[in-house]
Parts: sequence; C-alpha cells; structure tokens
Amino acid sequence: MRRPGNLGLAGWVFLSPWLISFLLFGLYPILASFVLSFREYSPLAPQASRFLGLANYAEALHDGTFWRALGNTLYFTFGTLPFTTAIALGLAVCLDRAFPGRTWFRAAFFLPTVVSVVVLSIVFKALYSPDGPLTGVLHAFGLAAPRWLLDPHTALPSIMAMDVWAASGYYMVIFLAGLKAIPVELYESAALDGAGPWRRFVGITLPMLRPTFLFVLVVNTIRSLQIFTEVFVMTRGGPLDSTLTVVYYLYDQAFYRFRLGYASAVAYLLFAVTLAISLLQVRWLKLAGAKE
Amino acid sequence: MKRWVACVLFATLVAGCGSQAKKNVVVFWQFWPTETIQPLIARFRAENPDLDVQVEQLTWQAGQEKIAAAVASGKVPDLVELGSTWFPAFAHQRALVDWTDSSAVLRDSLHLWDMATEDGRVYGLPWLGGTRALFYNRTLFARAGLDSTKGPETWAQLLESCKRVNALGGGVNGYGANSGERYVLFKKFMPYAWSNGGTILSPDMKSVTFDSPQNVQALKFYLALADQGRIDQQSLIDQAFKQGKIGCVLTGAWLLKQIPIDAPDLRYGVCLVPAPPGGRHLSFAGGEILSTFQKSANPSGAWRLARFLTRAENAAVIAQSQKSVQPAAVIAPDDAYFAAHPHEKIFLDQLGSAIAPPNHPEWGRMEAAIENAVEQALYRRLSPEQAITQAARELQAALSSPQASTSPRPQGP
Amino acid sequence: MSRARVLWLTPVLLTMLFPLAWMMFISVQPQAGNALSLDAWTRAGFTLQHYIGLFREAAFARYVFNSALVATLVVTANVLTAGIVGYALARSKNWGSRALTVAMLATLMLPKQVLMIPLYLVCARLGILDTYGALVLPFAVDAFSIFLIRQYVTGLPTELEDAARVDGASEYRILGQIVFPLLRPVLAVVAINAFLVNWNSFLYPLIFVDSDRLRTLPVGLALFSQGEHGVDWGLLMAGSTISALPTLAVFLFFQRQILEGVVAGAEK
Repeated sequence: MRRPGNLGLAGWVFLSPWLISFLLFGLYPILASFVLSFREYSPLAPQASRFLGLANYAEALHDGTFWRALGNTLYFTFGTLPFTTAIALGLAVCLDRAFPGRTWFRAAFFLPTVVSVVVLSIVFKALYSPDGPLTGVLHAFGLAAPRWLLDPHTALPSIMAMDVWAASGYYMVIFLAGLKAIPVELYESAALDGAGPWRRFVGITLPMLRPTFLFVLVVNTIRSLQIFTEVFVMTRGGPLDSTLTVVYYLYDQAFYRFRLGYASAVAYLLFAVTLAISLLQVRWLKLAGAKE
Repeated sequence: MKRWVACVLFATLVAGCGSQAKKNVVVFWQFWPTETIQPLIARFRAENPDLDVQVEQLTWQAGQEKIAAAVASGKVPDLVELGSTWFPAFAHQRALVDWTDSSAVLRDSLHLWDMATEDGRVYGLPWLGGTRALFYNRTLFARAGLDSTKGPETWAQLLESCKRVNALGGGVNGYGANSGERYVLFKKFMPYAWSNGGTILSPDMKSVTFDSPQNVQALKFYLALADQGRIDQQSLIDQAFKQGKIGCVLTGAWLLKQIPIDAPDLRYGVCLVPAPPGGRHLSFAGGEILSTFQKSANPSGAWRLARFLTRAENAAVIAQSQKSVQPAAVIAPDDAYFAAHPHEKIFLDQLGSAIAPPNHPEWGRMEAAIENAVEQALYRRLSPEQAITQAARELQAALSSPQASTSPRPQGP
Repeated sequence: MSRARVLWLTPVLLTMLFPLAWMMFISVQPQAGNALSLDAWTRAGFTLQHYIGLFREAAFARYVFNSALVATLVVTANVLTAGIVGYALARSKNWGSRALTVAMLATLMLPKQVLMIPLYLVCARLGILDTYGALVLPFAVDAFSIFLIRQYVTGLPTELEDAARVDGASEYRILGQIVFPLLRPVLAVVAINAFLVNWNSFLYPLIFVDSDRLRTLPVGLALFSQGEHGVDWGLLMAGSTISALPTLAVFLFFQRQILEGVVAGAEK
C-alpha cells in the first residue's frame, strides 16, 4: 500500500499542468528579466544592450527616490494589511451563519471588487476632490476637511483607505470559503463543553483558519507591495513623491525612460523584500501555531 | 471533458489566426477615434489605389507600452503616431527612419520641426501641435468689476484679475494652479518663465541656464497666482473651470471641445499667455509626429501616408473634430475656418511662438527636477530662490553624469 | 441577535455602496462630466443616452462576446488545473513540493511590468500574438489559484482519502470522486477570482492583440471613452456599470456553491 500523504507518480501527473505552463510562459520572462537586471537594455534598441554587472543594483541602492518609493510602499503595505485582514475576517464570521438578507449583504460587500480598479480609482479621485462629496459632507458638519490627495501628508493614507475599502470584501469571500473547511462537529462538541462564542472563535475558528489566514496574509502582502494602478490613475506619484511606490517608480523607468534593465533590477530588489516578508509571515504563523 | 476543452481551445486558436499583413498594406498605429480617422483613410485609399491601410487605435494611457513591446519583438507598424514627449527616446535609439532628405521639400509647408528633430536629423513629420493658453470666465470677471470683453494681457492685469475674482468668495477661486501629479506642472509654470526670458539649457544643450533671476521672478509670480486661487490636479481644475468656479486657468484646447458638452452655458474667453513687462507671450508646445520604424516592411507606403495626413486640409479634419490640437501645417492667415472660430485661432497663434522642451536624452530627469522644485516652492518647503537653485543643480547633475541611454518626456496634460 | 447584526452591518454596507451608487448616478446624468462634484446632485437629471450610445457602437457586442469567451475558457482551465495541482502540492509532503510552492509564489512576487515584454516575446515566438491563444493560454494555469487550493487542502482532514486508499482506489479516482467534491467552496472562490481578474484585465489584452475583432471589453471601453485629455464620463461610467453586471452574476451564482459547502460538510 502507498504511504498516506505521498501520491507517487500520480503526484507528478497532477503537477504537470503547472509545470508545462511554467516552462512555456513563466520561466523565460523570469529568467530574461533577471538577466536584464545586469544589463543596459532598451526595448527600442535591443541590439544595443550591454552588460553592466551590478551597476543597476548599485544605482538603485544609491538613489534616494528608490528608497523613498520603498518606504512609501512598506508604509502602504503595513498600514493596510491589519485593517483589510481584520475587516475581512470580521465580515466573514458575521456573514457565515444564516440570517435574513445574508446573501444580499455578502453581495454588497463584494461589490467594490467587481468594478475594475481603474474605474474605482477615477471615482475616488473625484470623491477626494476639493469639490467632492467627502469634503462637502465634512463641511456640512462644520468640520475642516483635509486636502486628501493634494497634501503630501494625507495623499498616501487616502489611497490606503480606498484600498482597504476595495479589498476587504474580496478577502471576506476567501475567509468564507475557509470557514467551510472547519467541521461543524468541533463547534458542537465545544458548545456541549460550555464554550461561549468568543472561546469558540479563539479556540476553534482561528486555529482551523490558519492555512486560509496565511494565504490571505501572503497574497495581500504580495499584492500591496506591487501597488500601482491606483497611483497611476490618481496621483502619478505626487505630490512631492509622497505617493511614489516601487512599481510606479520602475514602470516610469521602464516605459517612460525605456530603461528596462534598470527597472528589472528594481523589480528584483522588490522581489527580495517581498520574499523576506513572506517567509517571516510563514515563520510567524508557524510559531503562533506551535504555542497553542 | 478535457478533450472537449482542448477542442474549443484549438478551434479558437485557429479562428484567431490569419491576419498576417500582406504586401502593399500600410499598418498605421494612431490615437484618434475610428470615426475621425476613417474618412481620411478612405480619401487616401481613393487617391492611392495601389495601397491599403490597416489602422489601429492606441490608448493614451498605455500606448508606449504597446509600441515598446512591438519594437522589442521586431513586429512593428509601418507608420506610427508618436507624442512629442515620446519622440526623443525613439529617435535617440535610432529606431526610426531618417527622413531628413526626403522631408526637405516640406520644410516650408510645415512648422514645429524642432519636435521631430534629434541631433540635427529629422525622424518624422510634424502632424499636429498642441499648446496652452489662458481661459477666463467672463461672468466672474463681470461680477468682480473687471472688463469681461477681453482677457488679461500682462502679468499685472492677470494677478489683479485673479485677486478680484478670488475676493468674490463663495467657493470661487481666482487662479487654478497645478499640483498633485507628475508631468503637468512643468507645462503650467514654464510658459511664465519663458515669457520672462528664462531658459533651461543653453541652445547647444551643453550648459544649464536655469538658475536665473528671470526664472526666480517667474516662480514668485506663479506662487502669487497660486495664492489667489486653488492648487489642484489638472482634470479637477478643468472641471472647476467648467462649473464656473475659477476665474483664470492656463490649460489646453481640449476644453473647447468639452465646454459645449459639459457646460454649454459657460461664458468664457481665451487669450494668449499674459506677458511680463518687456516680455513676450510664450507657451509650451507639444504635438504629434508621424514616423516609421527601421524594421518597417513598407517604409515607402508609410511615407506616402504621412505626407497625405500632414497636408493642411487633412490635419485640419483631426483638429476640427478633436479641438485639442491644431494642424502643424502652415495655415494661410485668412483661413476661413479660423476666422469663424476665434478661440481656436488664439491657440493657433499661441502655437506659432510656443517652445518645445529640448530633445535631450536626459530630459525625463530634467523635467522631474524642475517640477519637483516648483512643487516644493508651492508647498512652501523651499523659497523661490532655493527652489530654482536646487533644480539647476539637478539639471547640472543630469548633464554631467547621464544615467539613461534615453529619457523621453511622459505624456500628460 | 440577528437583528442587531443587520443593524450594525447596514451603515457599513452603505459606505461600501456609496462610490458605486455614485458611478451609476453619473452614468445616467445628461452632463456626466459635471456630475463629479457635490453641487451637481442638486440639479440631477436622468437620461439613458450614454447606455444607448454604448449599444450603438458597432463593435460593442463583439467586445462583450470576446470578453465572455476568454473569461469562460480561462475560468474553466483555472478551476481544473488549480484543483489538481493544488491538491498534489498539499498532499505531497516532501522537499520537492515545498520548493515548487515557493517557486510558484515567487512568480507572483515579480511585478508584471518587467515580465510583460519578455512574455510578449514568448508569445511572438509561439506565434500566438493577435489570437485568442495569447489571451487564454498564458493565464490558463494560475499560481494564485493553485496556492489558494493548496492552503485549503492543507486544512482538510485526510481520513477520507486514506480510507479510499485502503479500499484500493487509484489516486485519480480519489482526486475525482472524493477530493473535488470537497473542494467545491474554494473552487467557487477560484472561479470568481479568475473571472474577475480576466474580465477586467486591461494591459495584457491591449498589448497582445492588435485586431479590432479580438478586442475585449475593458480595452474597447477605454478606446470608446478616451480623449487626449480627460474621458467621456457618461460613456465610461455606463460601460463600467454594464461590465460590472456579469461579474456580479458570476459571484451570486458561485457564492451559492460556497453556501452549499456547508451542507456537504455537515453530511460527511
């Protein structure tokens, strides 16, 4: 008999769709951009490309603008992650059990996700304008409104608020699916033992959700570290570079200055940061699991 | 099930194939809507029965990504419309066909050649030009007790008009100053600097001339204007002007198309960029250039199409339907259309003296340096003198230690 | 209890809906470009002209068809491959599968802005540029979906599979008859996500396809509504409202699958 947890040859057959797709469409772009990160390369003059060694990396590490962009990106990521995760989990737990109108609530919270980010960004840009509804409502209550996207101090937080708004419903759905993997019997026996709702949440829901939790955390981190469209549509990095993110910075280098080699080096620096943070998150969740 | 999916995939693949360009087809990538460009193409086909044209519309947002990918793969269109902001990178990389000799005969029938020239060689035909002029709200001018029949001509008049309009209150602002996004502020500040005799680089592009009293004075004036109004993003300033909330704004001719649709009741006027004492009425010039790639399969067809499109009557078709641009072709001074459309005539006149930024390979960095400095002054992080000096220092760094093999200017309003 | 829940969820809900309600509001305003500021609400009008304008565009139906075809193919391929690969990764407990998982996550960590031109070159080499193939094949297998399934399977107990192995069932049979039914809630999420990403995808379809007859809806909408500076607000908002509807329908359909997962779980 086969050992449990080992699929043998079938395992390779199951993995083959990804392997084939990766070899066809994944591997070459990754290797090519890695090679380019050591070269000067303009897509407009591929024949004029030349080897630079580590010069691209050195240039990025000595460029204050890159560090500014990295700082903004990390601020964005760690400023949105706790909120998005907490709201998504809270909504999922609330909407998991049946009550009248549940389907409609679920659909409504998911709604921001169905509109493309470009259109959402256009709407929010107008929402934040000095003539927009947000300022208008604050004024109506006699409050002073911030200048949102126009103030270097509030521009990035304004975009972050939009991101939390747009992403929470999405991760809520993933948590909802994760909740379905928890056997109902666990709750039933806990209830028999006299555990209250909070005890059941901390004792059963959270530990059992750990794989989903890890997924949400890692995927949302990867996505946040690559934040681009919102910045591209709403501020183009301004005012005073306060919303400049790493991907906007490398996009600017790749497609306005056609320095694809340098942009690739910046991408690999971002990759290193992302990988480090993701591994820390995996480690952290493992430790949290071991403590229980 | 899987076999079925495979069949569908295969069928759709086959269905999608078979659009290979034949000989004597000119593949033309451009930005204008189908209903505007198609009549021109039909006319071209009628005049050139041996050629067929395959037109594709690009997006302003991601046009350069698409063109860059095409050039990198070698599968290029024959004729391409390049924004003047993108042109230097393409020309500098020698990706375009040198039209210096063939275009010599057109020297006197088109202007804006600077935009299509790199290092003394011509790599395209100037097709359309765009500039910025001053829009003013006649209703607000009248309410503020100003002469609403004509716009401000001097800096002093402009500042005074903005002050009086701004004093009206009630959500009304005197001037609309730009901030909060890249690639825009430059086009709104430099007209004042140029009008005041300021420059960025020496004509040979070898030294920086930005740190001048003229530029400091222009920046002080710009800050004074901003004090009499609001600082906002371009689309929102345009929006506020259309709603009658701004007295004066330096913006593009696209408003001439938008106002009749969005704000048909708005009473407004257009005038040249106001001049300082002893200065001129100068503005920013940008535009559209028609070029062909080294790897194009049909360069001669591309040239014929480019010549056709740049003819005054053909460029005018685009300009009259879109309004945001004027023909790069030389227009007769008594042209009937412009006589009947005074606002567009102002833009045509403004374009005649407008200045295109230098086609320097490090330009992207330089423009960012200037915008950053002006914005710092706008947010009171630097004094005008400090801001101009800082920008000049960064311009010098860009000249003495070039980092880019190319650096074009991005597109933006 | 449930009434209290409805009570505190409702304000949250209204905040969530406001920007979208606003989008729809703009889409029915005669002077849509003016409807962006607050005082426009006091002189609101109503018109369907932007929607009519959209349907008058000859190519509109073609774009919708292309988007629907591409999204359907990608969703189907994604659900199948993610289920199979994700299960294998979760259940093969060796260094190889862990390394593959990390490699797969790594592919998500590089911004697409630098991968796009190399991917374009691959598609050119494969001869699939400007075909439906370029819109479907590179996206048929998705690392994100696989990772989601892997994490879900990790949380599932193995007893059912082991029992089937004792009974002599082949691995293929276990996957098809035991695992896939258990994955229903998470496969629904994969389907929703794949549809969403694909339906709204803009950059790749724009770059990989030249012919008008292969264009997808987001690209078509951008072209309809674009001006050199500023957009046709009415057309854009009407188009966005219409293009949001299928996604919503897909969500409502599949969230039922998530719901039914409860029943299946309770029965086992």
